[in-house]
Amino acid sequence: MSAGAKKRIMREYGECMADTPPGMKINFDERNMTKWEVLLDGPDQSPYAGGHFKLEINFPNEYPFKPPVVSFKTKIYHPNVSNDDKGSMCLGLLRADEWKPPNKVVAVLRLIQTLMIEPNPDDAIEPSIANEYKENRKEFEKNVKDWVKRYAK
Amino acid sequence: MAFDEELAQLQKLSGEYEPEATGPLVGERQSSAAITTEYANADPIYRIKTAALPAKYAYFRTCRGDGHCGWRAIAFTYFEALVRVGNATKFTEEEARLSSMHNLLDSAGFPHDVYIDWAEEAFDLLRELAQSLRNEDGRAADLLLHKFNDLGTSLSIMTYFKLLASAWVQSNSENFKHFVPMGDVKTYCSLNIEAANCEIDNVAIVALSEAIITPAGIGFEIMYLDRSPGEEVNVTPFSQPTDHTGMPLPNPPVIRLLYRPGHYDILYKAGDFSPTVQHQPVQPQTPLHVALAAGYHDSFIPVDSNVDVMTMIPGMYSTGLGQRWPPVSYDFDPSPTPQAQMTPVQPYAPTPTPITSVPSTHQEYMSPVHASHMAHHNIQLEQPPVTLPIHPPRPPPLSIERSPLTIERGGPFRPSIYELEPGFASGQVHSLPFQTAIFRNSHYNTAHFLNPDFQPEEWSPDTEYSTANKGKYKST
Repeated sequence: MSAGAKKRIMREYGECMADTPPGMKINFDERNMTKWEVLLDGPDQSPYAGGHFKLEINFPNEYPFKPPVVSFKTKIYHPNVSNDDKGSMCLGLLRADEWKPPNKVVAVLRLIQTLMIEPNPDDAIEPSIANEYKENRKEFEKNVKDWVKRYAK
Repeated sequence: MAFDEELAQLQKLSGEYEPEATGPLVGERQSSAAITTEYANADPIYRIKTAALPAKYAYFRTCRGDGHCGWRAIAFTYFEALVRVGNATKFTEEEARLSSMHNLLDSAGFPHDVYIDWAEEAFDLLRELAQSLRNEDGRAADLLLHKFNDLGTSLSIMTYFKLLASAWVQSNSENFKHFVPMGDVKTYCSLNIEAANCEIDNVAIVALSEAIITPAGIGFEIMYLDRSPGEEVNVTPFSQPTDHTGMPLPNPPVIRLLYRPGHYDILYKAGDFSPTVQHQPVQPQTPLHVALAAGYHDSFIPVDSNVDVMTMIPGMYSTGLGQRWPPVSYDFDPSPTPQAQMTPVQPYAPTPTPITSVPSTHQEYMSPVHASHMAHHNIQLEQPPVTLPIHPPRPPPLSIERSPLTIERGGPFRPSIYELEPGFASGQVHSLPFQTAIFRNSHYNTAHFLNPDFQPEEWSPDTEYSTANKGKYKST
């Protein structure tokens, strides 16, 4: 990783510390600054409320010319998060072809929170969950709460 | 449902597929004859266009086809053009000028702390190149190539250029909005210019040209090589720098890119690098560009002549190219005296003194109405040509102090790229840089009867049983 990329990650960490979005905690290891651990509370106005989710943000060597990679370490019932051991989230500005080098991690964290309040079923990685979200919101919310209870307490 | 998921999975895989891009980010400068060779088996339009390429654009440089090639080519050639100008103060001026555009970046909403890193990379490079020029260590070109082959550095500089292009488009949205979908300049810039992974398009090219290249006093042309009808690549000028009075700058450095659908490489004219051209005060009217075989065919019209036995040989001009290169003798002579005489044909000698004189001509040429600078050419108008030689061969010119680039044409062959290289015609048949099947059967091979240096292959008892010479060809 180039010196420029390290400098940028350090500075972004400083910014995140100064202005952490509510309900988030960032664990940062200086020896391995390309991997951030984020602890995220389910937003109150969402069915994820009460859950605590662990995320990982990995910065590729080419950062900021390639997007950071977001993955949920806690299982989550969500149309935009893959339901496997990776728990990857890849949409919007996180997509390789939409990522812009001036984008910052804070924007990524805000995107994650927004998506928990309002999933994007049209750009889903889990089509069946997206379908349920669109057609049977009650069943969807029930499943979400069920998973929160099982995995995210 | 399972089928849908499978499809979605396949779609995802194909969307994520990236062909392995190979080669250096920016390659070494090489003879553009390589492009001709590359297209030797392509369809006729490509073949004709690429065959005409090396005569005008002697060199080219590859850029890795990783989706950034156009951005990288422009950023690289911008710095390279400044190096070619060779004026260290120009680098300081450029740094000041680029910094003065940062208010555009601010008003486009880019955070200062983010873009300043990339700007600093560009400024560092400007400073290092200026320092190298001041030291006259001759390393500037190598340093530039080295820097641009560092992924981080070249991405930083390209991103800086991208942001400048985007800010330029947004601050001149009136001019650009008719060229973007729905006139939505902001969204367009975000997706097509600022995005980390987007190929350069014409809007961005115009923006870079207006924001960065033209104000630096650099010309900018793109040669489009495609299947459109024609015998040469289509040249589109994007920048023609002018001075403060609006007059075009004399002899500006020019950035030339070769565009093949989906990919950009860099082209050069031979004069871009010839020291003879660079350090000599070049008058706009000197026949030097003629000596470099650039564009002179516009000024002459071959007149039909039944004396040209070459045309009677079937298949002689099968490519249709032979006629494009009339056997007119061009003589570069530093003295302004017009030489309206029969000139001896020199064997492509870039040496100051001609070695032998072989008077020969097969065709006669008439100059068209505009004969303003005809005095520089030696045109034979003998009629009929069989009376040759009328004049005795001219003795070697005595008044040449500098080594002029002398290339004289005696046969119906267009100039070969090798003539422009140092050491050409140093007495021996130059060694071949490569030997492919395509090459062996082309007229670039001296063993081909169309080669101006035609030299039949000879049997040599020493190599009869040698098996080790295959590898030798490639190493030169």
